[in-house]
Amino acid sequence: MTEQQIIERINTALAEEFELQPLAMTADATLFDDLGLDSLDIVDLVIVLEGAFGFKIREEEAIRQIRTLGDIHRFVIGKQSTLAKTA
Amino acid sequence: MAVNETNPVILERPGPAALLMTLAVYPLLVLWTVVGIALSPLYLLLAKVGAGWPAGRIVRSLIWIYGRGWMLIVSPFVRFRRENLSAEQFHTPGIFVINHLSFFDTYCMALLPVFDITFAVRSWPFRIPGYAAFMRMAEYLDVERMNVDETLAAGRRIITQGGHLLFFPEGHRSRDGQMQRFYSGAFCLARQLGCPVYPLCITGTDRLLPPGRRWLRPTQVRLRALPPVDSTSFESHGDLRRKVKADMMENLQKMRADRGE
Repeated sequence: MTEQQIIERINTALAEEFELQPLAMTADATLFDDLGLDSLDIVDLVIVLEGAFGFKIREEEAIRQIRTLGDIHRFVIGKQSTLAKTA
Repeated sequence: MAVNETNPVILERPGPAALLMTLAVYPLLVLWTVVGIALSPLYLLLAKVGAGWPAGRIVRSLIWIYGRGWMLIVSPFVRFRRENLSAEQFHTPGIFVINHLSFFDTYCMALLPVFDITFAVRSWPFRIPGYAAFMRMAEYLDVERMNVDETLAAGRRIITQGGHLLFFPEGHRSRDGQMQRFYSGAFCLARQLGCPVYPLCITGTDRLLPPGRRWLRPTQVRLRALPPVDSTSFESHGDLRRKVKADMMENLQKMRADRGE
């Protein structure tokens, strides 16, 4: 899967889960201020990403550092890359 | 809050009946709360000896009785209407989901014919003086602090023991009476546990006490149970969430149309 495909899958999954407008989903959009998510949504975010990519990330500390949609893209791309190397 | 400044419900001025209700109900509610807290140790002891229930279940029954007392207090001013609520339809342990309009929505859950209901709520209600201790004793879920695995484990324990869970999937009270975006927690949990979802619709509590207003207003409160939804027949929690939300929105529109909104 290319990085662009990963980004598209993330955006599609999040738009569906959180009823987001595609136009608002820019890489620099902050989750809380720009996209209107809150602390409860982070739980759902983890579940959605795990379902979309088939990995487990709920224990990962890096999740707590995520602030923007771009952070999610980079996190998942990095995670996929790591998994591909260890596979 | 700025959003409330445009809400006609907030801008209304109380009429004589509303003033009378406010002046009568709040002191009685405080009195009922104090009496309830004072008598709770005796109730817990008697229920433990008499019924042999676990402590959490006893406290949940006490909270249900407390809600019934509140209903009695407000009954001169509020007409309660139950629709499709029968104990038989909630026989299988499951997850109630309900729209959220008012602080008093939780009290109205005493309209339900079952009492063993564990509320899944955000963190702030656990900081309400007097209530917090009972919420902890009732083993309510603080879904804002619990992680996914903890919530799943707690949900499994509750359902296995024959109890029900209750979520407000909007996460907070509606400021304009309209249904908001749904969080997925309740629906993920239902699918993982394979238990039914029991959608509930409530109207009228936004007239009784909407967010941002202090005074009470006489009204009619309607609580309607929709047909149970089998969580196992959906491929994803998103599909389940959309189905339940669509059912609730359709019924809420009809209920509001009935009262001329």
